[in-house]
Amino acid sequence: MKPLIKLENEPDVFIVNNVNEFLNPLCIYIPLNATKVKEGQYFYKDTYLDNNLISISGYATLSNPKLFNGKWQKSIKIDNDFKENLSEKKIKPKVKTKEDLIVALEASHLEKIKDKINITQIDNLVISCFDEEIYEMNEFMCLAENYKELLKVIDDLKKILSLDKVTLAIKNTNVKGIKKVKSIKGVYPDLQIMLLPDRYLMSYPNNLCSYLNIPNAHTLILTTNEVYQIMEILKGKKISEIYLTISGNALKKSLIFKTKVGVSLIEIIKNYLKITSSSYEVYLNGYLKGVKMPSIDDVIITEDTKSIVIKKELEEEVSECINCGACMKICPVNINVKKCFFEGYQSKKCLGCGLCNYICPANLKLKEMVRGDNSAQDEN
Amino acid sequence: MHKMKTKNLVLLELALLIPFIFYSLYKNGYLIYSKGLISGVAIFKILYLLLISLGIKIGLDLIKYRKVKIDYNLVYAFLIPMIVPYNINYLLYTVITLISFIINFFLTKKISYNPVCLSYIAIILGEYLLFGLDFQSPLESNYTFSFSLIDLLFGRLTGGIASTSIILSLLAFSILIYNFYYKKDIPLYLNFTYLLLTFLYFLITKDSHFILNSEVIFASIFIAPLPLCSPFKRGWQIIYGILIGLVTFIFSLILNSIISVYLAILILSFLNNVKFRQKKSKNTPC
Repeated sequence: MKPLIKLENEPDVFIVNNVNEFLNPLCIYIPLNATKVKEGQYFYKDTYLDNNLISISGYATLSNPKLFNGKWQKSIKIDNDFKENLSEKKIKPKVKTKEDLIVALEASHLEKIKDKINITQIDNLVISCFDEEIYEMNEFMCLAENYKELLKVIDDLKKILSLDKVTLAIKNTNVKGIKKVKSIKGVYPDLQIMLLPDRYLMSYPNNLCSYLNIPNAHTLILTTNEVYQIMEILKGKKISEIYLTISGNALKKSLIFKTKVGVSLIEIIKNYLKITSSSYEVYLNGYLKGVKMPSIDDVIITEDTKSIVIKKELEEEVSECINCGACMKICPVNINVKKCFFEGYQSKKCLGCGLCNYICPANLKLKEMVRGDNSAQDEN
Repeated sequence: MHKMKTKNLVLLELALLIPFIFYSLYKNGYLIYSKGLISGVAIFKILYLLLISLGIKIGLDLIKYRKVKIDYNLVYAFLIPMIVPYNINYLLYTVITLISFIINFFLTKKISYNPVCLSYIAIILGEYLLFGLDFQSPLESNYTFSFSLIDLLFGRLTGGIASTSIILSLLAFSILIYNFYYKKDIPLYLNFTYLLLTFLYFLITKDSHFILNSEVIFASIFIAPLPLCSPFKRGWQIIYGILIGLVTFIFSLILNSIISVYLAILILSFLNNVKFRQKKSKNTPC
């Protein structure tokens, strides 16, 4: 394994260490796939439309296509009636075994977590507080904000999965989280806290297990946000709220939000943030790994949205490749990036981490070529 | 880790070359002048040579791009005057540098080679055929010195006009080695191979004069790892360094030890065309 590197944040990006709640939006947008929706149809909170959770209650109107996870999709707009009407009462699932947990996750459409847990043998449980991108602080804040409840759920998970101990991997720069967790650590003697260095790609299972000196096989790695979602399900709630970091040097300040799913990005920006630059670029789920959005007005926050980066548009001169080899040297999976780029083929090994783009002194867009063009689809 | 742009990489190399120019002004300027062997104007010979190569680079930039570009041609324009011998003829130097830059401006995308070494070998060959080759400065040819090891390490060896200081080369290398973009394996393996072979040669023949070769150290640090004309993959960089060390040692035995490293780099830089040639697709913005 190549040693992981620490990427320096830009000096003009400073993320404020607080969570802003945006839980009463005027409206939300839901992508439309197969189901037909009538104009004026009423939707209850916590119901599903084509597997998409509706996080508020209100009446629907048809809307223009919007950007859901970087793809243009037909959508409906649900105007919030601020009543939070539920169609049925909350029922707390009885979860005592791994099988019960899998059933509860399936019922809540949390397929990713369900697939992680649904493996034959689990020997280790690791809770990761590492975000995937440099300008994301969702895991960090999720732990700091909900540490008491999260540690309780982690302890419950340990019992459900019949494990002896649980490892909590925290970034050693997360002073706020470390202090809070350590203050109640005595209540959970089987919880092992591991402080790991702040390195890019630490969130990857291979890297995390390697730093923790545990085998990757039979190790279940959950993020703090995933534990938070399990916690909500155990309470009988639906996952209608997510943590989201909006940052970038085109903003006056960068903030972390707890927001409803389906909210329009522009509504959050209008309420909380100020864009200081006249020309800017918007990236979904990070600058390095994410995709550039064609329009800020149509971006909708989905369950998979973790961060939005709004960067000043700089006229970066693309120059000729100088054959420095830095792209291959930095690539965590040793792809011959230059060969892929100049010969025009894609590599299946590519993680899409964006380090080649980051390091290239000639500003070549290497990731897009190696991974295949993953920029947002054009409306036409 | 901080990203560096091509422009910054070029400026870093130039900044590291400036101390060599100052040392040249002292060794191949002031010291010779103080013995009354050259006029006051000739003290600044390195600067005149530098201005000629920079003038050619800037002129060609203005013709081709309508603006001056900070690219690796600028590093070449700094390196060529630094490695030529003191007694170089200005006209020969100007003509060959001009031809070399013209070829480089129009050929680099088709053939990979080390333009600094090509210019150097052409200048040396021209000098040898037209005027007779002499690497010694007027001071070195008129006086006999008994230098200490420190003097030799600091640059009192015979060689290029501004490339003889081993201490300055090692100081520059100690900075470059921390640069992520620098191909440090090339100088490391080149010097290791060369030193190993010269030491073995010394053990067999008791001839030590190949061991301390400032040109090998300077060329290994600044010229062999030039990105555009050296291998891309780390494994090939190591092989490239070892081969240059080996070929340099062989050429040192049969040719002049000062030019051997440049000739070895020039020949081996053509290897890039076989193994590492850059194919261009429709997608390339270059």
